[in-house]
Amino acid sequence: MNGVTTVSLVGVGGQGILLAAAVVAQAAMVEGLDVKASEVKGMAQRGGTVLSTVRFGRTVWSPVARHADVIVAMEFLEGRRALDLLAPRGTLVCAATTIAPGSVLRGEIEYPTDLAAAAAERGVRVIFVEAETLAREAGTVRAANVALLGAASTVLPFAEQSWQRALELAVPAKILDINRRAFALGRDANPTEEVRP
Amino acid sequence: MERVLFLSGNEAFARGAQRAGVRFACGYPGTPSTEIIEAAAQLDGVATEWCINEKVALETAVGASLAGVRTLVTMKHVGLNVAADPFMTLALIGVNAGLVVVSADDPGMHSSQNEQDNRRYARFAKVPMLEPSDSQEAYDFVAEAFALSEEFDTPVLLRSTTRLSHGRGRVLPRVPITPPTPDYTRAIDKYVMVPQYARERNRLLLHKQRRLLARSEETPINVLEAGMADFGVIASGVVYAYAREAFPKAWFLKLGMSNPLPVEKVAKLYRSVARVAVVEELDPFIEEQVRALGLPVIGKEAIPADGELDQDMIFAALEPYLKRRPPRRRRPVFAPEPRISSPPPAADLPVRPPVLCPGCPHRVVFAKLRKHKLVPLGDIGCYTLGALPPLLALDSCLCMGASIGMMSGMNKALGRKAAVAVLGDSTFFHSGVTPLIDAHYNESQGLVIVLDNRTSAMTGHQGHPGSGLHADRSQGPEVDIERLCDGIGVRCETVDATSAKAVGSAIKREIDAPGLGVLVALGPCALTVPGKAADIVVDPQRCNLCGLCFAIGCPALAPGDEAVAMTDACTGCALCVDVCKRGALTAVPVERGKA
Repeated sequence: MNGVTTVSLVGVGGQGILLAAAVVAQAAMVEGLDVKASEVKGMAQRGGTVLSTVRFGRTVWSPVARHADVIVAMEFLEGRRALDLLAPRGTLVCAATTIAPGSVLRGEIEYPTDLAAAAAERGVRVIFVEAETLAREAGTVRAANVALLGAASTVLPFAEQSWQRALELAVPAKILDINRRAFALGRDANPTEEVRP
Repeated sequence: MERVLFLSGNEAFARGAQRAGVRFACGYPGTPSTEIIEAAAQLDGVATEWCINEKVALETAVGASLAGVRTLVTMKHVGLNVAADPFMTLALIGVNAGLVVVSADDPGMHSSQNEQDNRRYARFAKVPMLEPSDSQEAYDFVAEAFALSEEFDTPVLLRSTTRLSHGRGRVLPRVPITPPTPDYTRAIDKYVMVPQYARERNRLLLHKQRRLLARSEETPINVLEAGMADFGVIASGVVYAYAREAFPKAWFLKLGMSNPLPVEKVAKLYRSVARVAVVEELDPFIEEQVRALGLPVIGKEAIPADGELDQDMIFAALEPYLKRRPPRRRRPVFAPEPRISSPPPAADLPVRPPVLCPGCPHRVVFAKLRKHKLVPLGDIGCYTLGALPPLLALDSCLCMGASIGMMSGMNKALGRKAAVAVLGDSTFFHSGVTPLIDAHYNESQGLVIVLDNRTSAMTGHQGHPGSGLHADRSQGPEVDIERLCDGIGVRCETVDATSAKAVGSAIKREIDAPGLGVLVALGPCALTVPGKAADIVVDPQRCNLCGLCFAIGCPALAPGDEAVAMTDACTGCALCVDVCKRGALTAVPVERGKA
């Protein structure tokens, strides 16, 4: 909308959504853009759904948006849920990670397996990323958020050096190197599956 | 014929409560409300209590209402500020048996530090409000308020002022009412105001406003009284009496139920007369709403916005306006009904409600509480999640610290230890100490369980007086809950929350013990304990998927095909090992700090 790009990051509490969102916001600021962001937390650490939104452009008024151009999903079910928040012709960058909620574990409801089909139906693009595998390769599974962000960086309009500067600014120094590696692995990863309209 | 009594407004409130079948009345003294409880304490059939403050009084009243008895709670205007936290959310949860809040305002500040107009609270909280204008109405409106409370599932604000409370008039007693005494039924989506339930209750509250408005339009206590003059007055409360005396020939719209404002009746008055004045003490509460209809009104430009009124002052204030040319007639413009959002359509996807973290030791308390036939009244914090599936082990969440007062009121009304209170350490220090003192002073029975993880976990591990940790993370003095209880005079014991057996037997011991007790279940927040304590190994030969371990609601436990499966979320806290009766689970310790 009016040259504003909206990126939403979704996942489960504890997956590092807020840090990933901070990196996106920093990258936009490094590029000299106006940025607004909002997040819903509070109960986030208790295993609930977390949604963080970052909007950037020349001038950004509202910190919220009904639809996002790019959604970065740290978990498959949350990615599936977020499909309805994706703008037409938007892109979902989704980690191939599953975290079953209690209702699924108790056998009350099936974990969804129709993400690719649902995305095709909506005419949106999905990029799956083996984020946890890449993060382990980088040194810790905890960097899966940044590995996924590396993959998402290929569909976001920021220069490589802006991302690097953003990582420096947003990531604590003692885990910066490991996160740089995770980011690079994500950025170079070939999407495992891609569904085009 | 019944003897006609000569009662103050406050005495009339008390007698009216007795007549309406009120069985429990509590409050905190404050001029001009004090004599209501004092008078009620002299009456048969009404149990009375002075509470430690107005917040605790209201929470105690909520407990009694949930237990099924009609309950009256009284306070002065500024007292409602203290009780505002439960009051605002009480509008959402509603009542079981009727609950009426008397707010006695003090125009003129005879005995108060401010002159706030508590009619605003009725609109603020979206609860109906009745305003008696003399002692007879004070007596009659109590029953009216209770009927409204039960019909509309809402607290009712019964607003008095100094001259009503402390004025006297004739009261003709009426036939006593025997109200229903509905049993308490657990209704988690009604009484536990976590976001997903509160959103729905809020929509319900907004829809309720339309029905309340319809009632306000048709109730005979909002009455249009025809006059001889081409002049009408809108008034409520004791001010109606002043204005009636000042202008005996005027038309009157007398509002007995002043929230919601019956706008159709207002419009009818405007069709009958050329000039209308709103006469009210303090704020332009009614006037603003009449002006919002686009109708010309004589209001606060003539009637002082502070202090008390009387008939002479009202006559003098309005008389010059009546000599002027009447304003051009206008049609009222009614506000459209507000749009109320619909609940979002449910997708066919599994929801992901927040749950108690894996490794949280405090889930054991919930699992153990479920074995007793008790009403576990809850509070605000991450442990409120104990109300959600699969634990379903908390019945209420009203506001910070409400669990203890509610427990006290429920047990008082039922005359036994029916309810226990469950709250966290931070909530206990926030607003749990005063109701504990109150419960001790009022000789309530019950059990208060403090889930003590020595931090404000929900919001991100901030310090509090129990931990002694300051905002800058420097260490200050710690308040010891056991010594605090000792100072109050309440029995208190601490149990290791990480031991399911110890928690189980401590809860049983406390429930069987007489009177009031505090049980501190001490165990750290799982999020503050790094690494994994142990690997839990499942013996598929022994596990028969009986589900005992699932009852603790740990997200790390999943039913496998033939035996329980441990997921990556497991912290190795081994509570499941404790609850397993077949010895199917074993904890194999791992070195601390290794993931």
